[in-house]
Amino acid sequence: MRPFSYDRATSPERAAGMLVGTGSDAGSVQGRTPAEYLAGGTTLLDLMKLDVMQPARLVDIGGLVGRYGDIAIDDRGLHLGALVKMSTAADHSGIRDHYPVIAQSLTLAASAQLRNMATLGGNVLQRTRCNYFRDTSWSACNKRNPGSGCAALDGVNRQHAVLGTSTDCIATYPGDFAQALLALDATLDVAGAAGGARTMRFADLHRPPGATPNVETALKPGEVITGFHVPAAPWTRRSLYLKVRDRQSYEFALASAAVALDMDGEVVRQARIALGGVAAVPWRAREAEAALTGKRLDEAAATAAARLAFAGAVARQHNGYKIALGQKTVVRALLQAATLEI
Amino acid sequence: MPDYDDREARAFVSRRRFIGVTASTAALPLVGGPARAETAETAAAPVDPSAPVDMTLRINGERHRLGLDVRTTLLDALRDHVGLTGSKKGCDHGQCGACTVHVDGERVLSCLTLAVAVGDREVTTIEGLARADAPLHPMQQAFVDNDAFQCGYCTPGQIMSAIGCVKEGHADNDDAIREYMSGNLCRCAAYPNIVAAVRQAKAQMGG
Amino acid sequence: MVDAAPAPKANMGQPIPRYDARQKVTGSAMYSSDVALPDTAYAYLVSSGIAKGRIRSFDLRSAKSVPGVLDVLTHETMHDAVRHLKFMTEGGPASNTVVPLGSADIAYGGQTIAVVLANTYEAARDAAHRIVVDYEIDTPSATFGSPGAVDQELATQNKKHEDPKVGDFASAFASAPVKVDVSYSTPTQHHNPIELFSTQCVWNGAQLTVYEPSQNVFGIKNGLAAQLGISPDQVRVISRFIGGAFGSKGSLTQRTAIVAVAARKLGRPVKLVATRDQGFTIATYRAETRQTVKLGAGRDGRLLALSHEGSEVTSRPDPYAVAGTDASIRMYACPNIASNVTIVRADRSTPGFMRAPAETPYFFALESAMDELAVALDMDPVELRRVNDTMHEPIKGLPYTSRSLMTCFDQAAAAFGWSKRTKAPGSMRDGDWLVGWGCATSAYPTQMAPASARVRLFPDGTARVETASHEIGNGIYTIAAQTAAERLGLPVEKITVMLGDTVLPPAPVSGGSITAASVCSAIAQACDAIRAKLSNNGTPAVDLVKLMSERGLGAVEDYAEWTPHGAQKGALGMLYKGAAAPTGGTRLTDRIQFAFGAQFVEVRVHARTREIRVPRIVGAFAAGRILNPRTARSQFMGGMIWGIGSALHEETAIDTNAARYVNTNLADYLVPVNADVVDVDVIMVPEEDHLVNPIGVKGIGEIGIVGTSAAVANAVYHATGQRVRDLPLRIDSLVAGS
Repeated sequence: MRPFSYDRATSPERAAGMLVGTGSDAGSVQGRTPAEYLAGGTTLLDLMKLDVMQPARLVDIGGLVGRYGDIAIDDRGLHLGALVKMSTAADHSGIRDHYPVIAQSLTLAASAQLRNMATLGGNVLQRTRCNYFRDTSWSACNKRNPGSGCAALDGVNRQHAVLGTSTDCIATYPGDFAQALLALDATLDVAGAAGGARTMRFADLHRPPGATPNVETALKPGEVITGFHVPAAPWTRRSLYLKVRDRQSYEFALASAAVALDMDGEVVRQARIALGGVAAVPWRAREAEAALTGKRLDEAAATAAARLAFAGAVARQHNGYKIALGQKTVVRALLQAATLEI
Repeated sequence: MPDYDDREARAFVSRRRFIGVTASTAALPLVGGPARAETAETAAAPVDPSAPVDMTLRINGERHRLGLDVRTTLLDALRDHVGLTGSKKGCDHGQCGACTVHVDGERVLSCLTLAVAVGDREVTTIEGLARADAPLHPMQQAFVDNDAFQCGYCTPGQIMSAIGCVKEGHADNDDAIREYMSGNLCRCAAYPNIVAAVRQAKAQMGG
Repeated sequence: MVDAAPAPKANMGQPIPRYDARQKVTGSAMYSSDVALPDTAYAYLVSSGIAKGRIRSFDLRSAKSVPGVLDVLTHETMHDAVRHLKFMTEGGPASNTVVPLGSADIAYGGQTIAVVLANTYEAARDAAHRIVVDYEIDTPSATFGSPGAVDQELATQNKKHEDPKVGDFASAFASAPVKVDVSYSTPTQHHNPIELFSTQCVWNGAQLTVYEPSQNVFGIKNGLAAQLGISPDQVRVISRFIGGAFGSKGSLTQRTAIVAVAARKLGRPVKLVATRDQGFTIATYRAETRQTVKLGAGRDGRLLALSHEGSEVTSRPDPYAVAGTDASIRMYACPNIASNVTIVRADRSTPGFMRAPAETPYFFALESAMDELAVALDMDPVELRRVNDTMHEPIKGLPYTSRSLMTCFDQAAAAFGWSKRTKAPGSMRDGDWLVGWGCATSAYPTQMAPASARVRLFPDGTARVETASHEIGNGIYTIAAQTAAERLGLPVEKITVMLGDTVLPPAPVSGGSITAASVCSAIAQACDAIRAKLSNNGTPAVDLVKLMSERGLGAVEDYAEWTPHGAQKGALGMLYKGAAAPTGGTRLTDRIQFAFGAQFVEVRVHARTREIRVPRIVGAFAAGRILNPRTARSQFMGGMIWGIGSALHEETAIDTNAARYVNTNLADYLVPVNADVVDVDVIMVPEEDHLVNPIGVKGIGEIGIVGTSAAVANAVYHATGQRVRDLPLRIDSLVAGS
């Protein structure tokens, strides 16, 4: 861990000001950024210890929880402050009842201790678990060191993505909560320097790796996520998060699906599907959703939709199973959601 | 009991803590004071980030004034600078739970917590549960009764996590205990006994 | 009574709570890295980023510029500070003969190539990350089938190894009515005790004290002295509590000498706590194997021919192999047996002992093949074991001292409800979950080594037991106290036990499940000698304390040295050199001695997504006298859960291009978590065996893991009809069939 100066932010404007010209991703070369925000710290300190991230300055925004730590549910939907702890949102009865996919995605992530620490804003920005990225002794990693290559392409890639990858990076987006937000058409609020604030679609937050896997999000330099808004919709209650993994708990997904359905009897009015564990970024399966609209949700329809979701999948040596697994995960999640008692 | 090592150790630690505090006179203000630069470009120049930072930690009801490298985690502060070695380092990356402590009553991982970021929040470690020769906390006693450990290394973290599990209301049944205790690896694999211990202690804690 | 403390059955001691329980639940048990030494400097290792080649040069400028950095040791500055030692199989103490920081050559990925010394841990870590190494890179060989890897017959590399055989396997197999000919593989695995590998060294003049978690403090003392060219008398090794070991702390590894040299150089104590990642290459590991089992049987299930061939990966310099055929081919009656073990030399660190080193991989193959044979015969797998049960091992016809295999099968089967099993694969579905039941044989050789102990009885009715054994979670503090209490006729709380320090009488390595039998035999011998010293005219004394006060004695002490049946000449001397070789098991000329067990597993495999869960496991074990049913149950249970992990989770993945491990952390090297373990039923089957040793103890630390992975795989076959022969069993290989 490189030395850094440490400051506590007393206001979001001040926090953003401290990071002007820096940003979390822009200009990141070999992980060396002038400054980073510190919230729960569960990703940042982890990667700083590994020397993957080397900020010269930390701006601790944990103290802003009074302003960005609220959960509110009203007619328009669900509002989540960015500094809400994962555990708080996971255990919130309103979220469990009305937005179960959100609560489940959080409950099934990490461990109780980590959920007590990590914030929702930090959660969506967690970085890939690709071992070649996390271990600086591997020289080839385009995400960590642009232009250096990708050791995972012909390395151990059982955990790696089959959707949304590029020839420069096949790292998997590791989170769970993001898929729930994506499936429910969430937006996020962002604060920037000099009081500048904006709202963006959650679907626009993560950037596919393409030729620049080091650029992971659309946040501008100094911007900080302040909250999420999940619009009220007919499908939010009939929603669930299915996470498939080797062990029962405390593991990142091999494949996961956030699904939400608006049903007219056995017929789908609208479906929402987002995939995790299989893609480079939180992955919305729009073709699969469209294929289900107006269909009776049975095994055949779910299987056909799942096939569409993985139509563009590209496998490497060890992750081909994710194409079959991902489809079965979608089928299982859809059929389970269809039969939910709500 | 091999307790003579402990006495040696405590004598050494108190000396180290003293050194730590005297060194802290060179510390910097924590919150953007006048000596602190406002932008990243100027921040690097005049400030020596390796200089010790003055901080006061509230641990098990006592205040500890320390001068520490700003990079020091709460876990390393406890173990190497305060002399509370009950909290264990098993991975240093939030993957095992051996370092679990309570901060303001919530179970968290001290290995992924910067000491300087703890501020004035109250830290409780395994040493804060029962004083020497005093009766054990019901969770500690339940771990003894149910043989909920073998080597004992993950045990302080398990116990701190288990108390959190009960207080959070996540110990209503064995399935919940198993799930909400899954952040604490036990390589000796005392898991069924840990579940039994949490069940026993929950009844006594009124959880 | 809680589940954890089962009521003792015949030939079992009391399930008293652990002697060290309070220390362990209050955080006051002092593990090696908990010991605080004054003015400590911190060490941080730098590991090789390549697996084969040479270091051309280091750029240490940035590292040395970090405030607080004291020194950086490399092969250039160490010179020949550490001497070369011989490998274990050549009679030396080294588990890895690459000399620590001995040269510019890189023999394996993760090899320690430098160590940073600094005033703080933070500075040492920072500086270590700044070191730039210029390598000359050679193409490494990673594992089986890698270009450049060299296959060798083990017998040509280790003179002590032979490949046992009997009869004429080839003809018998050719003519057998029912045959199984199958190949299996097991992966690289790492012990990953939760305690990190640490070493603290402090010199007081010429005297060196080492605090290191160890399963063999005398081994470190003597080996380190030889490495440093000093007398063993100058080295004291202290290891009061060990935070899990499982074999990883049984050998002298490279870090100890490096830290010792660093402490001497700096003239102050040096503390190393290696990272989890470094732990994958600075200690040993369970090497990957490939095995072929051929079974020929009559239609009645009786084995006519059995062949077991294994191949194991090892390092270039050291011919390590576990050669589990030695045990596996002796499990069942069979007139025609062949076996063979080969090794594959690759650019890897030297593997080593890991819980049931030989039996874990080799019984996966044997017991999976037995299940495949049962399927081929359309026979109940329990009955297949029954018809092939034997009281004599098949190679030389030596008698088992005791063998309760089928009692274990019958008791475990009854507890499990095996009779309710329907035979057809996939026939026991529960909703979306496919249910499968499987079973397997467990066995582990009963071994012992010489041990010594000092027992001192005081007139106030207290006693003190001293032996340099190791508390690795095995409960040795507890059973040592119980043994002394029983033999001296004192309440157990009156016994003080001192362990884990080379100033104490030597005990052998705490491995191979030998500790209870060896150390408690020595303690019992010392107690009996005290009783004899206090006896009146040859009549054994009853109330020793009363006699002492009557005679006005201050203390009565005995120093006992115990040697097991079959120990080689000079074995006791080797004990003091930290090299006491275990004997027993299959090594005896007059008999064979094993503990046996049977395990039954229920798996649930999701019909669509193929996650495998183990909601239920029952194990029955017969292992002679059980000293404490509480600590014993925990050990059996821990072994069984290790078996589940070994079957379903544990694999150290190697990048075959780089010959380096990839998942070197606890988020990616998966071990079972609490939620993976639901219902574990341990049945301790009473067994008396007065031949193995005077106290009748067989040893239980390892048998719990043996066969478990086969039982899981057999259950997965029963659930899905898919036979998986490569561990770990994961979704990857099952999902295509769903």
